[in-house]
Amino acid sequence: MRRELGIFCAVVVMCGFLFWSNHDFGKAANILNVSRQAAMLGIFAIGSSFVIITGGIDLSVGAIIGLTGVLIAKISSPSVHCLNHPLWVGISIALAVALLIGLIQGLLISKLKLQPFIVTLAGMLLVRGTAQIITHGGTLGLGTSPLINLSTEGLFHYGYHAILAYPVLMFIGVIILSSYLLHGTVFGRYVFAIGGNRDAAEYSGIPVDRVETLTYVISAGLAGVAGICYASYIGQMTYNVGNGYELNAIAAAVIGGVSLRGGEGSVLGAIIGSIMMEVIQNGIILFKWVYHSAGHREVFRLSSNWTYFITGAVILLAVLIDQLANILNKRKRLKRQAQIAAAKQ
Amino acid sequence: MAEDYILRMRGVTKRFPGVTALENVDLELRSGEVLALMGENGAGKSTLMKILGGAQPPDQGELAIDGKVVEFRNVSDSRRHGIVLVHQELMLASNLDVAGNIFLGSEKSRWGLLNRRAMRSASESLLHRVGMSCSPSTLVGSLTPGQMQMVEIAKALSHKARILILDEPTSSLTLTESEQLFKIIGDLKRDGIAIIYISHRMEEVKRLADRVIVLRDGKRVGELEHDQITQNKIVSMMVGRELTNWYPPLRPKADYPAILQVKNLVVPGAPCAVSFEAGKGEIVGFAGLVGSGRTELMQTIFGTTPPLGGTLSLEGQAFAPRRPRDAINHGIYLAPEDRKHHGLVLPMSIAQNISMPDIQNYKPRIWLQRGHELAVAKKQLESLRIKAPSVKYRVGSLSGGNQQKVVLGKWLAMRPKVLILDEPTRGVDVGAKAEIYREMMELAQQGITILMVSSEMEEVLGMSDRIVVMRERRLEGILPRDQATQERIAALMTGAGKIDKSIGV
Repeated sequence: MRRELGIFCAVVVMCGFLFWSNHDFGKAANILNVSRQAAMLGIFAIGSSFVIITGGIDLSVGAIIGLTGVLIAKISSPSVHCLNHPLWVGISIALAVALLIGLIQGLLISKLKLQPFIVTLAGMLLVRGTAQIITHGGTLGLGTSPLINLSTEGLFHYGYHAILAYPVLMFIGVIILSSYLLHGTVFGRYVFAIGGNRDAAEYSGIPVDRVETLTYVISAGLAGVAGICYASYIGQMTYNVGNGYELNAIAAAVIGGVSLRGGEGSVLGAIIGSIMMEVIQNGIILFKWVYHSAGHREVFRLSSNWTYFITGAVILLAVLIDQLANILNKRKRLKRQAQIAAAKQ
Repeated sequence: MAEDYILRMRGVTKRFPGVTALENVDLELRSGEVLALMGENGAGKSTLMKILGGAQPPDQGELAIDGKVVEFRNVSDSRRHGIVLVHQELMLASNLDVAGNIFLGSEKSRWGLLNRRAMRSASESLLHRVGMSCSPSTLVGSLTPGQMQMVEIAKALSHKARILILDEPTSSLTLTESEQLFKIIGDLKRDGIAIIYISHRMEEVKRLADRVIVLRDGKRVGELEHDQITQNKIVSMMVGRELTNWYPPLRPKADYPAILQVKNLVVPGAPCAVSFEAGKGEIVGFAGLVGSGRTELMQTIFGTTPPLGGTLSLEGQAFAPRRPRDAINHGIYLAPEDRKHHGLVLPMSIAQNISMPDIQNYKPRIWLQRGHELAVAKKQLESLRIKAPSVKYRVGSLSGGNQQKVVLGKWLAMRPKVLILDEPTRGVDVGAKAEIYREMMELAQQGITILMVSSEMEEVLGMSDRIVVMRERRLEGILPRDQATQERIAALMTGAGKIDKSIGV
């Protein structure tokens, strides 16, 4: 919990700073936009967290997000080159495909003991390639499909804006379900045990293969759900949608205290990590610094070219601080144990 | 006199949380001498050698080389003084060739490029010195354990070793390979290299050692010159404690109704099938040298490596474990040899570790039963006297003895029928050891069958109702307790006791 609390405080401080630098940050439209973005990232970052906690990694989520959107557009959109089936058909098929991809990857990793990095790297390329083939490398529009409204509509309105946009509602649903699954069930306990010590889990009779496979299914499934949201948000599907998002998910999870070594992490951490990621993105656009030079009022703004740089720095800083705290804690613990040992002599 | 000691250690003390590994130990060594260091597992031999090798600093005490006090901050400090430790588990990179291994970490190079030719030719003369005829470009992975040992020694020589520490060098060697090693030790001695020889094998020590120093519970308890060395003297020094405090009183001999029957079980990798029986409430000890196939046999019974043939039956019902869950469902549990890798999830709490194999049965199943989990763990914490502030404490922070008790508690919470304990007291301090023995006896009284693998002779003799001796993955003999003596077991273990094969089996 220490990590989650620390990063939560950092997010609060960051928001305060951004609000101070540019009051637009606190405007309803901006807050709702950031929360929608964070929700969409959070949905699949939680999925990735399941995999990472078992000690694995899933590089295919970005590609699955892209394919989901492409499939929905291809099947359900009324546009040219599309099949114009009802929306529910497209969504069901897209989700089923996502789950199937997760299942295949999971089985390859758990049963054939292939390395998760390689399997999901190949998976990423295969899935991205499938999307590219379906779109012929071009664009599939959602046209007048009702899906378009999903990302903007929602419950409770404030002016033109929905306070709880559908992606945010879906995110809340995902949070509740995954919190229960990860922190409230035997399955979740097994996920942590496998990440903590796979052999010991095996020796304790835990169905390691099944649990591991399921985490990849969950990851792919949630990527599919996120894919629906992104499709609605973007409207025009190219095969490139979601490119690199898997790394955003991993970054969000890691910032939130999910350890790539496995065995550590929480849903809450993934949520806060996702919010952090989106606040950074938003902050780079909104940040401004007013200063006076030679009697003129000047405004300094960050160019969006700084996005990667700053994101990288924040990730590094987060893990650095965490590791320093770990080292200090360990030193303190060893000192205490040595004192106890010396006192016993 | 002090000047002719190449090495002198004085008052070396090392404490670990909960245990004093070494207390005020002195050790001196002359050049060209073979000093045998003996003591039971956990007597402090390896800690002492780690200090000498620079891997750990002592808490107190000093080291002097050639009469000059030195301080080792790391392994290379100690290397610089010509001290080289050859570990029991060989530290070779099997994907590199012999020359590459000999010069690992001290590669000869020219402008950053590996100078393979120089390394090969230097390796050749080193290999010749250790009596090896193979080419320096042979892949280490294709060598036998004995040859690997020689490569390790060649590597040590390449560091211009003046003090060579051999930790149980013969544990994985065949007889001829051992002979070869002894010959080379003789050669090295003549070259003036001092050797510290750690071994449990009395014969070797008698033959090789100029002097023996015996450690017990972290203290130096005695020293013998070559002509004073006898088995009895060493054993009494090594053991030299009140046995009665250690092992619970022996139970009267009884007939235990057979509950576990192992018939012609083929363990993967074993040369022939094994058969034995274990009775209800019986403690069956499994003796043997390291690598004699005891652990593998237990893993097969537990289902981690499924058998290739033969039958297992429990209470008359056949069962064929394909995975640990199968054995667990039958009430057969294994507390593995390697606690940290196979037994426990170190970052998790005591309670989470204890509940691990059983938590899916805690009802109602819809929600993780944390309350019940804590209650179960608390019961085990109390009955096993696990020393921890609470059941929510991280297992990784416990001492070895308490960790072992958590492994036991995990299975005891589930009413075992057969409990397999692989080296139950390895790395466990003296106090906890006695408690584990007491617990085992109590379980046996309750009718739980215990299969205990142990490399400590005393433990096998002190605890078992029957003793199965294994050698080179075969079952060499089964001895009832009243016929088991240290000599007899040792003879079977080392293959010197063919006559005894008539007993049992």
